[in-house]
Amino acid sequence: MRFVTYARRREWTPMLGYGLFVGFMAVGYYYNVTFVQLGLLDLGTRLVGMTEEQVSLWMAALALLTLFVAVVSGVTMDRKAWSSDLLVKFRLLFGVVALQLVLTLVAPWIRTVPAFGAWILAGSVALGVGIPASFGLAIDLVPVEDRGYVSAAITALAYFTANVYPLDWQIEVFSAVMVTAMVPGVAALGVLASGRVGPVNRVVARLADQHDEFGVGRFCRGESGPVRTRSVAFWGPVVLMFGVFFVDSLGFLRIIETPSFVLNAWQSPEFSDHLAIGVVHVASALVAGVLYTNFERNWLFLWVFGLFSLTHLFYTTDVRTAAWFPQLAGGPASPLNSAVYAVAVSFYTTLNFALWPDLSTPETIGTHTAVGVGLAGWLATFLSTALALYFETAEVTLLSHLNVVNALALLLFTGLVVAIYLRRLISAARSTDPSSGVRR
Amino acid sequence: MADPAEVLPLLVVVVLLMTASGQHPDRMTVHFDGDRQVTQVEEVLVVGGGRATIPAEASSNGTVYVVGGEFRVRGEFDGDVTQLAGNVSVADGGGIAGEFQTVAGNASIAPGAAIGSRSRVQFVQREASPVADWGFLAVQALGLAIVGALLTRRRPELLRNVGDSIVHHSVVSTVVGAFTGATALALFVFMAFTLILIPVSLFGMAVGLLSVGYSSLAYGYLVGQRLPIDQQDLSAGVGTAAFVVGLDLLGRVPLLGAVAQFLLVVTGLGAVLITYYGFREFEPALSRGAD
Repeated sequence: MRFVTYARRREWTPMLGYGLFVGFMAVGYYYNVTFVQLGLLDLGTRLVGMTEEQVSLWMAALALLTLFVAVVSGVTMDRKAWSSDLLVKFRLLFGVVALQLVLTLVAPWIRTVPAFGAWILAGSVALGVGIPASFGLAIDLVPVEDRGYVSAAITALAYFTANVYPLDWQIEVFSAVMVTAMVPGVAALGVLASGRVGPVNRVVARLADQHDEFGVGRFCRGESGPVRTRSVAFWGPVVLMFGVFFVDSLGFLRIIETPSFVLNAWQSPEFSDHLAIGVVHVASALVAGVLYTNFERNWLFLWVFGLFSLTHLFYTTDVRTAAWFPQLAGGPASPLNSAVYAVAVSFYTTLNFALWPDLSTPETIGTHTAVGVGLAGWLATFLSTALALYFETAEVTLLSHLNVVNALALLLFTGLVVAIYLRRLISAARSTDPSSGVRR
Repeated sequence: MADPAEVLPLLVVVVLLMTASGQHPDRMTVHFDGDRQVTQVEEVLVVGGGRATIPAEASSNGTVYVVGGEFRVRGEFDGDVTQLAGNVSVADGGGIAGEFQTVAGNASIAPGAAIGSRSRVQFVQREASPVADWGFLAVQALGLAIVGALLTRRRPELLRNVGDSIVHHSVVSTVVGAFTGATALALFVFMAFTLILIPVSLFGMAVGLLSVGYSSLAYGYLVGQRLPIDQQDLSAGVGTAAFVVGLDLLGRVPLLGAVAQFLLVVTGLGAVLITYYGFREFEPALSRGAD
């Protein structure tokens, strides 16, 4: 691990870079999974008075606008070479966090649909610009060999905090906590981005030079050179990650509406349940970090799909058991279900933080992270939300819903195994001389 | 209300017993809670919770399995009763015409009750004999030592590759071993609950145990390399025997011994897996460059 070497040599500046990246990304991710995903639903339904379906439509608009803004800003960053300029990225992030601070502050006072719509519009601009600007920091701050571990640290921090310090899923609570956390963040970013504080400028300049060494991602270092945006090498992971987010979101949306599944897990009154899930998140994120660093990325995807299949197999078994023996139903579900779910989520989140920078160079990081995170993260979540709503309208039973999710996970798992095998088969066939049958 | 975690495994046992005795699980009625007066048993009644009573004036037949709750016989029951857990009581004047078999749980038979035949499955815990213990350990060590020596003579690279991963990639080996072991164990237990997949589950468990045994050979190979024995196969054999005995002794150290044992086992298992049982040398993805 490069971090240990830095620590041994007492090189504090690169170590500070690790801290900045982990801090930005963990807080940003925590903001997305709490304030944006849960807080806006509460704001729309409880304070503005819309139905869940109407709020979901607005959330869809948020996802699409975010994707659009992310791609535009990512491409612009690459074309104008801002992606390889750390100071510009700090300035962009300062603008993003300042805007988000204002939006977070005013959110609990919104009472009308037009105001809610305006919030969504401004929110998607902040999120869209924030995606390439924040992920782009990886090429300046995190060495390639440590990206798995750093991603694991981000995942562990975000999910441990979210589980061990659970908040009421209400916009006022989220707003108060987020504003408290964002104010020092904005101040720190302001200092970093100002270019007017001498010692800080030297630190930023030292960090900015690092992209010469860290810039070319792990998957761009082979004989085939950098991964091109229009290549299968880029779109393959995008499709797989899209599948991961889709499967997760489609299943989770139904699970959190089933009291027996959440009352001894994410909404348990017992602190020990939250602590257990938090610890599982931390442990599995660390495992994922080690696996990411030491194995090919397809192994990680296989693990993720396999884990989601296992998770939904557990959940569907609970539902089937309750159907066979109704007298046994009504009690809480097995804690194993939420634990395996936490493992699967930590795995793919770790993969998500490391994958996009590792598929990029300083010339492509803006576009690749924007397309990757925008499509795989935001669009997949929006589409699965729409499908989950359709299932609800069509009165699809819990068992059927979870069966679909399970089938999708199994299909992706099998599809990936077949794809890997076929790729090796084609490669073997190509390297064999057709006339003599002798390998070239 | 019956606790699902306690009742479900016993229900699986009941289904297995029924299948073994030629009864179809579809004919099973399960009673979980409340107080029920049983005047007629539809072939098989399973008492999983609450209370089921054959009233004083009633006479019914069939088969009863008790896995929880309470089964009371006040009248005549013409059939067999198997008790796996819970409570069974037969009152004065009541009776079970068939066999009443108790595996576990509490049974109370009044002096005036009539029981066709009564049996109790006794689980006698034998006193641990040091001779048997050490004898088994010796056989285990000798068996693995012979396998280790033979394998080293024929394909030394297999154990060398696993051993290299244990030494040089211990973190990856430990993580893979612990993670794969935990998920595979959960999967195999889950498979066993489906009944159909019991053979697959047993096969998986057996492969897991064999893999752990195989990792002992790799540890033995590593220990053997440090012994003053020139002959490679002999040193691996002696090393394996020493490792097996050492691992057992380690387990006798309170708390820390078990932790160290666990770490050694999972690291060995992980090393076996990441080297494909030693057929490939493990190389971290990052040192291979792009993948």
